[in-house]
Amino acid sequence: VSIRLQLLIVALTTLVLPWAGCQYARELESALRGSQERSLLASAGTIANALSAQPQRVFRDVADSGAFSAAQGDLYVYPLVTQPLIDGYREDWDIAADPTPLPTSTGYRARLQAGATEHYLYLFLEVDDRHFDPEPYNVHAGKDRFDRVNLTLQNPDGAAASYFFATDAPGLIAAQSVVKNEDGTQRVLVEPRIQAFWLQTAAGYRLEARIPLSFVGRHLWIEALDGSGDGRAGIGADSAAGGRLFFATTGLDTLLATFIRDGTLATVIDVNSLKLGLAGSLNAARLKESEESPWYRYFLGADTENMPTITAAPDHMSGEPVRAALEGNARAQWALSGTRELLLTAAAPIMIEGRTLGAVVLQQAGDQLLALRDDALTRLFNLTLIATAAAVIIMFGFASWISLRIGRLRNAADSAVGSDGKIRLGMPDSGRGDEIGDLSRGFERLLSRLNEHTQYLRTLGGKLSHELRTPLTIVRSSLDNLESEGLRDDQLRYITRAREGTVRLQSILSALGAAARVEESIKQSERVNFDLRDLITSAVAAYRDGFPAANFALDVPPDPCFMRGAPDLLVQLLDKLIENAVDFCPAGGSITVHLARVPSNYSLQVINDGPLIPEAPLKHLFESMFEQRQGRDDKPHFGLGLYIVRLIAEFHGGAAVAANRADGGGVIFSITLPLI
Amino acid sequence: MKKQIAIVEDEPALRDNYAAALARQGYLIKTYSNRSAAMQAFHTRLPDLAIIDISLEDEAEGGFDLCRDLRAASAELPIIFLTARDSELDAVSGLRLGADDFITKDVSLPHLAARVAALFRRIDALRLPANAAEMIRRGALTIDGEKMQTTWNGSPVILSLTEFWIVHALARNPGHVKNRQQLMDAANVVLDDNTITSHIKRVRRKFQHIDTAFDAIQTVYGMGYRWVE
Repeated sequence: VSIRLQLLIVALTTLVLPWAGCQYARELESALRGSQERSLLASAGTIANALSAQPQRVFRDVADSGAFSAAQGDLYVYPLVTQPLIDGYREDWDIAADPTPLPTSTGYRARLQAGATEHYLYLFLEVDDRHFDPEPYNVHAGKDRFDRVNLTLQNPDGAAASYFFATDAPGLIAAQSVVKNEDGTQRVLVEPRIQAFWLQTAAGYRLEARIPLSFVGRHLWIEALDGSGDGRAGIGADSAAGGRLFFATTGLDTLLATFIRDGTLATVIDVNSLKLGLAGSLNAARLKESEESPWYRYFLGADTENMPTITAAPDHMSGEPVRAALEGNARAQWALSGTRELLLTAAAPIMIEGRTLGAVVLQQAGDQLLALRDDALTRLFNLTLIATAAAVIIMFGFASWISLRIGRLRNAADSAVGSDGKIRLGMPDSGRGDEIGDLSRGFERLLSRLNEHTQYLRTLGGKLSHELRTPLTIVRSSLDNLESEGLRDDQLRYITRAREGTVRLQSILSALGAAARVEESIKQSERVNFDLRDLITSAVAAYRDGFPAANFALDVPPDPCFMRGAPDLLVQLLDKLIENAVDFCPAGGSITVHLARVPSNYSLQVINDGPLIPEAPLKHLFESMFEQRQGRDDKPHFGLGLYIVRLIAEFHGGAAVAANRADGGGVIFSITLPLI
Repeated sequence: MKKQIAIVEDEPALRDNYAAALARQGYLIKTYSNRSAAMQAFHTRLPDLAIIDISLEDEAEGGFDLCRDLRAASAELPIIFLTARDSELDAVSGLRLGADDFITKDVSLPHLAARVAALFRRIDALRLPANAAEMIRRGALTIDGEKMQTTWNGSPVILSLTEFWIVHALARNPGHVKNRQQLMDAANVVLDDNTITSHIKRVRRKFQHIDTAFDAIQTVYGMGYRWVE
């Protein structure tokens, strides 16, 4: 794994920043929620306290706190904002709730809803009755059978009055009542102040009635009767108590509105959780429409998922805070509304003389908070992502730079020792103060020591050959003197042997210093124009004399091959190649000297029969002091011969390569020499 | 009267060996191990021949200085450098300073003695009339074997002893190729091939100095050299 990748991985750890940011944001949100809870709860408590000081403005009847029972015919009267038209349609009531079914024992189904404005009570009755039984003309109630709705009202004074609604044709009607004449007969009176609209529908009929509040007391009996059967639904006049009407408190909305701020929905409920009044709205303070959840919300965990869901009902409040408040404890809770918006609900009981008569319920949308959080989070996320990206890019760049420097250093180290055995000093980056610079300087020190050592080795041959020359001369001159002393023949034999030894020593010393001398003579060489073909031809003729044991073949072009260079050096080059070839050529083998003119170069090849050279040493063959093969003669080898070949080839701008013959029978040494 | 030879050589064993060998030839030998001792002696009396090593004790180039001083003292005194150094540069420097020959220490004692004798012979010959029998004439070239003098088109060519013998060997049998070994034998020196090559080069240059068209010494690659008329 490259350093670049490693640092990239390290850089990725900066992703912990957004994560930490999220954790922080979460805690921030939690704290904000807590404070919102407390503040809303405090507001609820304050409002509850204020309201409990003036109960008559909150409750129509402080004393009456009976339990609400729809089965008993109890009815919540919705406060109506606008006066509905009496037309049999409920749409203008603007109430989300459907009418509630009336109790029935016969399977005759009817549903009722009540609403009130400042002066009127509105009733809306829906009866499932496919067969319309019209009211006969001038009937006496109770005698003939027809579809009717009986209504008994207890007026504020406590006196009851009974009415019924029936019609011979759908349309706008008035309530009728049966009164006893003085003679005991009954007659039907029309009560024009109670107006209704009878609307026939496919499923039955609807009755929308308007009753002045002056007719209406605490109790109400309403019953729908089927004209063509025994079906009936509702609370009949035989019920002692009838259904009770639960009104919202007039003026409480206005009172409440003085307590609250925008964005808060305040609701006052009674002990039955029925709404007595409300003010404010949830939406007013919403900053903006809740957008799509940012994708990273998924990483934050679904903290809202396990919240309870509160479905808002038009007539009553529900949920844990409401239940707790009606038990006398203030409570706040975060919940999700039916439309999955975050909602904070705080409820505080309204206590009057130690009794809980109701509660103040305040609600605030948490979306504001969420929006705030999301906004902060989005910015946090974006910032940290940018920071992370920047960190990653910077780290990547830095890593690339480091690895570039290391790569440069490696390349320099790789090529520090050239194939000619020379050491190139000077490492990149050695001027820098960091560790790579240290490394570079370390390399430099190493190389310079190595260089000193190599220099020493390089010059050792020359020095040795120089230093040994004097003692050798002493030995030889002493032998010379000894010889002149008139020795016996047997003594002379030893002298001769000693002299032969000095001659061999002499040739060893000469070989040792050969490379240094060639290097020196290369420096002093002059270039002349000459015919390479001529040189090779005469040289090969000389080799034929010099090495009679070897078979020389010569293959040169028909035309002269002129080039510019140092012919003496080239002869030395050829000498070395031929010596080498002769050394390894088996008895009876042949040595071919081949000269050809290839585009822009002369190709000089010395090809000999003999053992192959292993692949690995092939490319090192021309390096200084490289000696793999052991020649068969007793001539000294210091691995300098082919190095000299290379020195001379390179002096001429050429190159030397060695290869094994394709037929496996020997080796080829090739020298390329530029034409001019 | 015996000829007096001064040997200035810092290596005692070598010095004594040379002295013994030359004394055997009938020369009077004085040996010195350094430049100041030698110069002191030379102030009183100059030898007939000086054999000088280049590096003398502390002075790496003391021989060169000594040669210069000797040459200043006498223009005719024969001087031979006998040294372990075999680089062409040293040889050229030595000869340029006025030495008559430059011999490496590889030379054997009989060769050295022959060389010394040849040098004395040349000096003696300079004072004698020319012996026609010892003359070699090859076109523009004239070699006086007795005086060891060479002329080209009548102009003298100043050759060192080694060079003289090389030219002599080549010109004696024009057209014959002389290999390096033959030339070495002719010059009574043991030199490596390179040094022969540089001697040939120097000889050519000396002739070309007189006659730029000179190309009588031809290289036969791989074999040696021959004289072409």
